[in-house]
Amino acid sequence: MAVTTLDYVPEAGKVLIDDHKGHPGIKATTLSYGQINDDMLGMLEKPHPSYFLLLLGFLLALLLGAVSLSIQVDVGIGFSGISHPIAWGFYITNFVFWIGIGHAGTLISAVFYLTRAPWRTAIYRSAEAMTVFAVMTAGLFPLLHTGRPWLAYWLIPYPNERLLWVNFKSPLLWDVFAVTTYMSVSIMFFMLGLIPDMAILRDEAIRKGQKLKALIYAPMALAWRGTNHQWLHYMRGYLIFAAIATPLVFSVHSIVSWDFAMSSVPGWHTTIFAPYFVAGAIFSGLSMVMTVLIPIRTVFGLEDYITKHVIQSVCRVIIFTSVIVGYAYATEFFIAWYSGSPYERAIFYFRPFGEMASWSLIGDQRISFPLIAFWLMVFCNVISPIPLWRWKVRNNPLAVWIICALINVGMWFERFNIVGSSLQREYNPYSWGEYWPTIVEAGITVGSFGFFFTLFAIFVKTLPPMAIMELKEATTPPMKNPGGGH
Amino acid sequence: MAKFTGVWGVFENLDEMTDTIEEVRSKGIRPTTLSPCPRHEIDHALGPQFTLVPWIGLAFAILGCTIGLGFPAWTASDWVLPVGGKPVVAVTPFIVIGFELTILFTAIHVLAGLAILGIIDSYRFPIPKACKEYPRFQRDRFGVVVRCNESQLSEFETVMKNRGAEEVHVEKA
Repeated sequence: MAVTTLDYVPEAGKVLIDDHKGHPGIKATTLSYGQINDDMLGMLEKPHPSYFLLLLGFLLALLLGAVSLSIQVDVGIGFSGISHPIAWGFYITNFVFWIGIGHAGTLISAVFYLTRAPWRTAIYRSAEAMTVFAVMTAGLFPLLHTGRPWLAYWLIPYPNERLLWVNFKSPLLWDVFAVTTYMSVSIMFFMLGLIPDMAILRDEAIRKGQKLKALIYAPMALAWRGTNHQWLHYMRGYLIFAAIATPLVFSVHSIVSWDFAMSSVPGWHTTIFAPYFVAGAIFSGLSMVMTVLIPIRTVFGLEDYITKHVIQSVCRVIIFTSVIVGYAYATEFFIAWYSGSPYERAIFYFRPFGEMASWSLIGDQRISFPLIAFWLMVFCNVISPIPLWRWKVRNNPLAVWIICALINVGMWFERFNIVGSSLQREYNPYSWGEYWPTIVEAGITVGSFGFFFTLFAIFVKTLPPMAIMELKEATTPPMKNPGGGH
Repeated sequence: MAKFTGVWGVFENLDEMTDTIEEVRSKGIRPTTLSPCPRHEIDHALGPQFTLVPWIGLAFAILGCTIGLGFPAWTASDWVLPVGGKPVVAVTPFIVIGFELTILFTAIHVLAGLAILGIIDSYRFPIPKACKEYPRFQRDRFGVVVRCNESQLSEFETVMKNRGAEEVHVEKA
């Protein structure tokens, strides 16, 4: 039988509407189903040469990390700056930082799904991919930090010849369970969201006669046809995933914070750590989303999808979390003073005012790394987001990008400020120490960024960076009688 | 795959499709629909539908929670190691493991449940091969599939044509 409606003309590149002057909203609501399809599939076409240049840069950073990692594993943990009494340095800082970056994806895809925030539609797929890649990056660091990563399976409770079990009362083991669960659920949530879009890619590949692509996409589509039965199970399953991912996202960084808070180290042993860490995670994660998506929006011409309204909305959450983070900084200082504990007071004096000199720039002029970390943290996380309170700044993508990049820097230093400084000045002066990272630790840190951005760069050209199905759901459906209702 | 006898049509507009669903349902048959995205208009036209997915989620959430609380308690009792006067089977720290495994078990089994229910539904509600492979259902078209007797074929073909279907296909086993 002849199927005549298959002879359609792709609509890519057409803009059906003018700008929504004075009415910011998701423009995708006025795009046709076909145009959304074609625009999104157009992003997966052969990339511009500049893409490969960018990818090469990321790969070089990754290579630096791989070389540093191999030296670290070969020589041993003594090659890093980690030594008694500072057992936690760059690696744990990176772990906490990357776990935090991952939080934005789950927040956008699950929490804002449950609260029905319409602006999440255009950005949640990329944010979710960021979560997966960030948690994968984060997961490398505790393994590396153990010093003998090939024995990492000892962390898993399995029957062994010594009849010993892991210590379930340790926050470090909670971390193993929390991070493993978070990574598994994030990957499954990501794959679940991709199923209908994989079916689109599969059918498009079949239509164009691209057999290899069809062969790759078909298994990922799980025989998706878009029947009402499939949609029924899918939407209910998606809702359940969103419902369980919401408490998960809050639990994971709380549990990470308990790695510190459950100890009796000054500067760590505090009850505000869980909300403080979660707010910081959302703050840094959303900033990373903007740092990555604003250039993508410009390069791919996605102004119709990632509208200024979307950027404004993300900025509002960034402002909110920035205030929480700033408040948490102030609370830490207040409680250190109010507690009357000389050890708490000392550590919160040392953080902003130094006396932990560990590095010399010129001659005797010594600079403390935690001191740099502290002031960078305050500037980037508390002061630099202040301009976002102005509508004009939030409406300027370049300004937002600069502020978000600064926040990323600030949040990394915040993590270091927490991880690195407390161990340098514990209770007794005989157990005081200094920490300065070695070139290997710096190389692995750079490599972690290379790893993350390489994966993300590959993602934007191989999988739809926006949820095609949800964009269609957000748009007005084709109606013969548009005003007729149902 | 079961042999298919019935009619399937392709619609450009959502309202034409929902009108067709309602008319088919008024004749005592619940059709299967295909659409590029979920629409509540389609759900309303089809009427209440049931899915096992939440129950699968609940069952495995309970199992995950039980294992998450029970396994650490068992291991703690298997090799007793009292530390600092703390209880050997300490409930509070085990809640963390219980919570994480509740979520992990729910997620894995909801995803597996979706896949298995999809396979079961493909046997319970078969659709013809040509309809399955029609690529515009993933793009910008809506589909209605009616499974019926040979005697009803012309009736439903007429319904679809009258309701504005772009294409109508009649299939016999």
